[in-house]
Amino acid sequence: MFASRSKSRSVREAGWGRTAICGLVGLIYFSPVLWMVLTAFKTRQDALATPPKLFFTPTLDNFVSVFYRVTESGAQFSTGMSLFFFNSIFIAGMGVLLALILGTMASYGFSRYPLKGNDTYLFVILTTRMLPPIVVIVPIFLMFRITGLSGSYVGIILLYAMFNMAFSVWMMKSFFDELSKDVEDAARLDGAGEFKVFFRICLPQLKAGLAATAVFALILTWNEFLFALLLTGNDTRTVPVAMARAMGGQLGVDWGLLSAIITLFLVPVFIVTYMLQNHLLRGVTFGTVKN
Amino acid sequence: MSFLKVSGLVKHFDEVVAVDGLDLDVEKGEFFALLGPSASGKTTSFRTICGIETPDAGTIELDGADRTHATVRERGIAMVFQTFALYPHLTIRENLAFPLREQRMDRKDIEIRIGEVAELLKLTHTLERKPGTASGGEQQRIAIGRALIRRPELLLLDEPLTNLDAKLRHDTRAEFKRIHRERGITIVFATPDELEALTMGQRIGVLREGRMVQVGTPDELYEAPDNDYVAGMVGSPQMNLLAATRKGSDTVPSVALPFGEFGGGAWQGALARFPVGEALTFGIRPHEIMPVAASSDFDGPTLEAEVHLTEPLGDVVILDLLAGDARLKMVLPEEQAMAYSVGDRLTCGFDLATTHVFAKETGTAIR
Repeated sequence: MFASRSKSRSVREAGWGRTAICGLVGLIYFSPVLWMVLTAFKTRQDALATPPKLFFTPTLDNFVSVFYRVTESGAQFSTGMSLFFFNSIFIAGMGVLLALILGTMASYGFSRYPLKGNDTYLFVILTTRMLPPIVVIVPIFLMFRITGLSGSYVGIILLYAMFNMAFSVWMMKSFFDELSKDVEDAARLDGAGEFKVFFRICLPQLKAGLAATAVFALILTWNEFLFALLLTGNDTRTVPVAMARAMGGQLGVDWGLLSAIITLFLVPVFIVTYMLQNHLLRGVTFGTVKN
Repeated sequence: MSFLKVSGLVKHFDEVVAVDGLDLDVEKGEFFALLGPSASGKTTSFRTICGIETPDAGTIELDGADRTHATVRERGIAMVFQTFALYPHLTIRENLAFPLREQRMDRKDIEIRIGEVAELLKLTHTLERKPGTASGGEQQRIAIGRALIRRPELLLLDEPLTNLDAKLRHDTRAEFKRIHRERGITIVFATPDELEALTMGQRIGVLREGRMVQVGTPDELYEAPDNDYVAGMVGSPQMNLLAATRKGSDTVPSVALPFGEFGGGAWQGALARFPVGEALTFGIRPHEIMPVAASSDFDGPTLEAEVHLTEPLGDVVILDLLAGDARLKMVLPEEQAMAYSVGDRLTCGFDLATTHVFAKETGTAIR
């Protein structure tokens, strides 16, 4: 609470000079996004114009053609993109949720009931993220083929959950380590059982940490391309893979269409991050500032 | 009959022995102080008594029944943590209600209890706030309230005043005494501060490295410490403890100090058991030393000393004296102390009856 109060004061005191510099830097970072969003609303001619047009008549055609196309004979057909958007949301959501539930419980165990060789176990979990995906993709692909998980929702969701597990265990463990153990013991003395201590005492104190972990894991999963490319099928394809397929064409790259897909692709992550932003800042700075 | 009886309690964490054969006997309705420096095993003892930790050895009896292996819930002991350990995400009202909700108490009854406790601890105006917004004193009272609301028969207070500022400490000491009187519960109170122990405890147990060194009333500990550790721990300023040697004859022993050789205290008879030349520790409280005018007819032991340092404390002044190789403190009322300044030489006297002698090797009192 104090942090936000003093922060707003320092912003007020920063003055116009610093605000202008910050704004300029922000604009530079934001310019690719701006270009993309603008292009999504441009016609093919406007999108390819040199120098790039900043002012133009916006059109929603690109957005429509993300979902529906018209053949030369005039028949309308679905691109299947709505399914891929659903897949992305469903797969990333479930993958993150699973990793968060299992990871949080595991990290509580690692933090509160250390085993012999606790650090070794943690390291082993971390190793799942140490190898670049490209190195492990072949064995995983073979495993998926043998077990029949290839192309199924269950397969890719489990993979993403595993993929996010290391991250959520390590991050949540550091949050649990920060929590006062006395508070938990006080709850035990007050008559609470272990489940209550975990769900009613620990977790509510870590809302910020959970939010931060969820957002980071979500963004990683949302953007994931390689596993999705090789392990999803026609019905379970995610947007990054579908997007790559939409890039090529006999007529070259359709920048307007691509930009429309990416713009739509941004929206869910943007909404989630926006909703959790207050928690996010506290989660990221958790433990670094003593209040 | 004792209400809480702990025998031979042992608890270690890996190599570290936190509690090493602790014996503790607390009467019903007693206000018992556990005095010991940090890391002497106070907190671990408490955590083991209330069941958060499992003892490695020893027994814990509550009201005559063996509770060594009972669950936390079965023991029903309340404890106030040094850190207060409030639930930061719950309002103060919910903090107070938590133990009662766990007992599945009726909502109406919970409200009545909260009202009572809030009244007792002057928390009524804060109930809807989160503990993070409360002051240190309020947080302390919430922690006590959360412990009291269950109406426990035994309350453990782990250094409850350490995290408060000096003024608040004083008020809270009185508060604890009031609560103890009004509620008639048994309280065991851990503190590293001898003043807190002396002013609040009906009996005091002095803890050293996980063992009970001496148990007694404040007077007993002050007048007759069993060893040099208790002697140094109880009383402020600390008792002067000086290196000494057993001298005199086999039957008429005396104690040799840097500033003279004395015989005749309560310890003289017992000292005869020790051989001549035995290393001793001689103890005398700063309050028992007084200046002796050359013209007076004082016939007790005296010593020549130089004032090395003065520490004015308002109504009294502590004078640091150098007598030969020995350094000792003397406490004088301010008006008397004004006569002396640093570098002055003076003659001091004391009454041998108020002195203590300890065997240097074991630290045990000789008497």
